[in-house]
Amino acid sequence: MLKKILLPTILLLLAYGFWISPNFKEIAAGVAIFLFGMLALEEGFRAFSGGVLEKVLQKSTDKLYKSIGFGFAATAIMQSSSLVSVLTISFLGAGLIGLTQGVGIILGANIGTTTGAWLMAGFGLKVNIAAYAMPMLVFGVILIFQKAKSLKGIGYVLAGLGFLFLGIHYMKEGFEAFKETVDISSFAVSGFKGLMIFIGVGLLATIVMQSSHATIVLILAALSVGQISYENALALTIGANIGTTVTAVIGSLSSNIDGKRLAGAHFIFNVLTAFVAVVIIHQIMYAVDVISDFFGIAPDNHTLKLAVFDSLFKVMGVLMFMPFVDKLVNFLNRTLKSKVSEDASGIESVRYLNDSVLELPSTSMIAIVNETKHLYENSVEIIAHGLNIKRSNIFSSMPLEDVLKENYSQDIVDIDAFYNKKIKGIYGKIIDFAARAQSNMSPSDIEVLYKIKLANRDLVEAVKDTKHLQKNLVKYTNSTNTHIQGEYEAIKMGLAELLRDINIVANSKAVDEKLLLLSKAKVHLEKYDIIANGTLDNLIRSALITNEMATSLMNDSTYAYDISSNLISMAQSMFSAVRFGDDGVHDEISLSEKDIRDILNKG
Amino acid sequence: MGVKKFIKTVTKFLKLGEFKDEGKKKSVKELLKKLNKRKRVIKKRLESDLEKKEKKELREEFEIVSVEIKNGKAILFKLYEKKK
Repeated sequence: MLKKILLPTILLLLAYGFWISPNFKEIAAGVAIFLFGMLALEEGFRAFSGGVLEKVLQKSTDKLYKSIGFGFAATAIMQSSSLVSVLTISFLGAGLIGLTQGVGIILGANIGTTTGAWLMAGFGLKVNIAAYAMPMLVFGVILIFQKAKSLKGIGYVLAGLGFLFLGIHYMKEGFEAFKETVDISSFAVSGFKGLMIFIGVGLLATIVMQSSHATIVLILAALSVGQISYENALALTIGANIGTTVTAVIGSLSSNIDGKRLAGAHFIFNVLTAFVAVVIIHQIMYAVDVISDFFGIAPDNHTLKLAVFDSLFKVMGVLMFMPFVDKLVNFLNRTLKSKVSEDASGIESVRYLNDSVLELPSTSMIAIVNETKHLYENSVEIIAHGLNIKRSNIFSSMPLEDVLKENYSQDIVDIDAFYNKKIKGIYGKIIDFAARAQSNMSPSDIEVLYKIKLANRDLVEAVKDTKHLQKNLVKYTNSTNTHIQGEYEAIKMGLAELLRDINIVANSKAVDEKLLLLSKAKVHLEKYDIIANGTLDNLIRSALITNEMATSLMNDSTYAYDISSNLISMAQSMFSAVRFGDDGVHDEISLSEKDIRDILNKG
Repeated sequence: MGVKKFIKTVTKFLKLGEFKDEGKKKSVKELLKKLNKRKRVIKKRLESDLEKKEKKELREEFEIVSVEIKNGKAILFKLYEKKK
């Protein structure tokens, strides 16, 4: 209801303002151009965010101070804390960074926004900024029309900066002209009452403009021509800082749990910092005077002093919060709990796939890889239980003979139910998500994605084959015929060994170990194929097993062969090499079919 | 001159295409170093007294690593040939 009324009211008020004051129109147009510039700048930086940003992020967020540094630098360069927030939510959603690092980035981004105030106060108000805007706009727009993605990106960045400068120029001009007709400085309110009123005004202005950056630039423009008092400008800055969290919270309502937690951290941080600033406002103002004096800023240069205040206030907040980031993260994890990953019918849901990671091709890719690993874990669980073996035993250092002795359950595990609960839904969502993510990917990324999709299919096929194998496996491992029982035990042992080796491959960092284990698995696959190595023929010829047993064994050894083959192929795609950006070396060194034949012939 | 052609000319002039091959060479060399080390370890263990089953397994590993080293050397050889 409020939403429905709010927009028309704002539009009507603006229209009325334009009608009664042409100067107000100029200021408002300045703000609109400035905001449009920010949008163009965001669009431009998005073109470059696929690659470099992620690599820097992974290397520079392992420690809290590094995350803060990253947040600061990224915001200072891109001049948009909202873009940094969106990217951070995307990185969080893909599992690239943890919430602690995410909070660090947001804290850094808060300090990064102060560079905007410095640019405006130190440069924007002193020179004819519009003179720089015009060529930027012309070059920018020409480049936007180019086909190459990088040129387009540069075009958007240039046009964005041009619009930002033009917006600042119009705001400045508007306030100067406004001063001659109306003196809004007469509305200045002093004391605590003024502080609270102007905090409220700053808060509302930021909610309406959806940007604290724009509010602070507007405050500086008004302050430079004396339309607002220095004290009231400080209050407006505090208000803008709270207002920006309101927009972040509103934005996070449609986001995933990571986005909500991050917005929660942002809200708590900014509101508490603002509260402390209000309580010790006189001390901060005194500190601003001392710092300004130290750097040779004139006592009446209120715009630069406001930039000092903005920086001091935000740095103070970050220093205040740094020791409590872990506690804040724990609090947010406790209060904002993720929805249970199972729905009412018990069907398990995806962990990493959400719309926030679609922001960047690299985060989409990482999310799909992580989700495939999730599917792998579920598949291994089902295969192990289908073989009636405890998964924890397979992954332990227990001898495989002992692993087989300890059954998972006395009853036959219902693989169909497991499949519907833990595989079907996740697999469907991975395929659907991959199709959506693919539209933003480069041809080389699409190639990698294709391999990941095949790995998913391999897992699903392995689970389905386990279901076919299960019935006779239970029957014949308990048979009184020791020959058939031995063959089924061998099938079970081979698969358990493979699951153990693949688990090592998945977790090991030693590339040569991964390579050796997968090659070994390939050799064993052929070596122990009882149809190819003549074992089955021998059993039949010597009448050691019945015809019915022979048929079952032939079918089931084919299922076991397919399960192994699918698992090896999946592991090769997912775990054998540093898949992303690798140069295919591992695939080339790995054993070919001819190599396997040669090794088997020697043996 | 189109943008694509310009980039191609610059890439060729600065020999940027060779970076890919150089990177590949580096990873093959690193991997070969590790595989050779593993081969030496297996060989040493094979010389000691072992159970028949363990010896059989190690022999198989030795064969596999030897083939992988052979494949790695073949890749390196191809890369050096390409440079000539």
